[in-house]
Amino acid sequence: MARKYVIGIDLGTTNSALAFAAPPSDPREQAPVNLFRIPQLVNPNEVRDEDLLPSFLYIAGPADFPAGSLELPWPSDPTYIVGELAKKRGVESARRLVSSAKSWLSHAGVDRTAPLLPVGAPDGVPKLSPVDASRRYLEHLRNAWDSKNSDAPFEEQEVLVTVPASFDAVARELTLSAAEQAGYQHVVLLEEPQAAFYAWIERHPDWRNRVHVGDLILVIDIGGGTTDFTLIAVTESGGELQLERIAVGEHILLGGDNIDLALARHLEQELLAKGVKLDMLQLHALWQQCRAAKEHLLEPGAKKTEHPVTILGKGAGVVGGAIRAKLTLDDIHRILLEGFLPRASSQDMPQRRRIGLAELGLPYAQDAAITRHLAKFLRQQAGASEHGAVRRGASGLACPTHVLFNGGVLRAPVARDRLIEVINGWLREEGREDIQPLFGEDLMHAVARGAAYYGMARAGRGVRIRGGIPRTYYVGIESAMPAVPGLPAPLKALTVAPFGMEEGAQTPIPGREFGLVVGAPAEFRFFNSAVRKNDAPGELIEDFGDDLEELSPVEVNLTGASGELVPVTLETVVTETGLLQLWCVARDGRRWKLEFNVREQVRQ
Amino acid sequence: MSRIGSAFKSFFSILFKGVLPEDVARAFGFVRAAAGNVAASPPAPPQVKTEDGALQLLAILQRDGRLIDFLMEDISGATDEQVGAAVRSLQEQCRQALDRYVRLAPVIDGVEGSYTTLPSSDPSVVKLLGNVPPNGKVQGGTLRHRGWRAEKVELPAVRAGQKLDVIAPAEIEIE
Repeated sequence: MARKYVIGIDLGTTNSALAFAAPPSDPREQAPVNLFRIPQLVNPNEVRDEDLLPSFLYIAGPADFPAGSLELPWPSDPTYIVGELAKKRGVESARRLVSSAKSWLSHAGVDRTAPLLPVGAPDGVPKLSPVDASRRYLEHLRNAWDSKNSDAPFEEQEVLVTVPASFDAVARELTLSAAEQAGYQHVVLLEEPQAAFYAWIERHPDWRNRVHVGDLILVIDIGGGTTDFTLIAVTESGGELQLERIAVGEHILLGGDNIDLALARHLEQELLAKGVKLDMLQLHALWQQCRAAKEHLLEPGAKKTEHPVTILGKGAGVVGGAIRAKLTLDDIHRILLEGFLPRASSQDMPQRRRIGLAELGLPYAQDAAITRHLAKFLRQQAGASEHGAVRRGASGLACPTHVLFNGGVLRAPVARDRLIEVINGWLREEGREDIQPLFGEDLMHAVARGAAYYGMARAGRGVRIRGGIPRTYYVGIESAMPAVPGLPAPLKALTVAPFGMEEGAQTPIPGREFGLVVGAPAEFRFFNSAVRKNDAPGELIEDFGDDLEELSPVEVNLTGASGELVPVTLETVVTETGLLQLWCVARDGRRWKLEFNVREQVRQ
Repeated sequence: MSRIGSAFKSFFSILFKGVLPEDVARAFGFVRAAAGNVAASPPAPPQVKTEDGALQLLAILQRDGRLIDFLMEDISGATDEQVGAAVRSLQEQCRQALDRYVRLAPVIDGVEGSYTTLPSSDPSVVKLLGNVPPNGKVQGGTLRHRGWRAEKVELPAVRAGQKLDVIAPAEIEIE
């Protein structure tokens, strides 16, 4: 049966969304992209369709809900609740709530297939791995789709799942395996900032008149839990405009939730000064109220300078026990603009915390200043020498011509204006003209929409952003040197996959044979770099300092006669779905695939 | 008729009318017993009681807006400022809840104080005030209150055995 729809899924850190499009019969036409309303439990005994599926999972115990009150329109396990109800109940009983599973998926410091979540759950609560949690969100979306589209089963549609551009090869592979476990058949991964840009293209069919060859587009995506930067260059090939994603930033765990929490903490301190102490539930209520108050005060055209925040009394005494405070526009400006979006210089770097021991948890960004992270990102492109068409200023700083905003935080005009102001300050120093904002719409759903658009672009109905892999990958080679006790042998890095290697491409690594041990375990060490962009396959890097980041080692036990040493060459393949694979090819044509090790060592 | 179709039809027919639909009954070989031949069995208790919807709505307004807590609280000792602050938050939350489950619209979408013609002579739709002529027939008058009409009620389906009399559960925190 022919596929009917292209489905785009934004698997977000705090919210997920699904958009779909039906490719039209005439390939020259552009199909409208629609948002799918996702049925989910919002209260016990109540299933409702919502635009977003909160990415929260609650592991229900026997005391949580009345029997039979958790039925969905499809057969489901009432132990695992996904969506709005999970989020609500998690406030009251936090130790059974899985949140930010996606950030755990990208956390290289832990074994991401081990049951870790919820962190701090008491014994007896069945724990899940970050992959399992992601699988359950994806499964919910699949079931939700099927419950409304009996004539177009999910598994027969083409599906695109978005990942942060900063996801490394392992996190991408894990996302894909979560999708496969959720019963997804035809899945392709797409980077979120690119999806946001596709959404802009979808809304502006005349986009070719709005950007020109040589332009450099900066995508700033500040979501609920993460911040992501991407640079897209406008190039030309055969007289046609082309888009090329040329740089992605690091994974920054910093987003809108941090801002709302900072506002709540501020009011908590004010209340404390008046002798009012809040418990955890009240603080959470305050957090939600601050979010609402912030949105009221920041919405375009709002003229008020303060908004009351009331936490109703805890017991039956709603009025008597009410706690009152107010959030002022000054508070927001001070916390949002000076705390998160300060006027940083383009030379600034995010500050690092100097604590030797940190709690086991997510590697949250230590510097809340998004503008300093942005300065580092643009500065890094300066250090990355002469790759491609990066437009630079006098000091080498990458100088974008346009900026596209995405994510809930950037719905507030003050936040966008501050970013534009800061970037323009840098651009003037570099002797470049001001940046032009590209206005997107619907910042909460743009990624899912853009993914659906891209799905059609793949089928030849729209423009595609060329990108390839956003990092350079290396295999570690120990130098042949006499062993010195206590010191590891110096390590060299052999480039195996160049930056920007494209989907569907295949690269042999020339000039080096390895002795591959088969029939017994052998270990490979891998590195990547988002900064070094000009290393060609086969190039050997000796002194790489902080430029390279080590991935978890790949341990393989390949089939073959025990202990046999086979001389092999390496070959890199980037699959159509954007996954990086490494193959060992023997002289006699035998091939072994080196799987990225998902069972990782925890960094000590 | 498809199996799903008959199943649904039977379900709703039994739910609301208390009988199996005629055509489904025939299709499955049932014949309606002639009256008087069999002792009439006591009617099965209806699954949806009239108070269910009312209890559900109270539970929703309490859950999302703390309305019952507010109405049942003795506020005689509270200052106007305290009441005002609580009501501001309560009103917003209750209205959001109401918007979600009951779509309300004015009966007459006009400007209060302006001359308005009568859309209906039904006293349950338009109440006439003041100098109403003896025959009760008028063309129009000054709109004093636009009235409210529930355009749509979308309460969640009630599951068999669901405890609706508990409007809000008691809460006990385990320290």
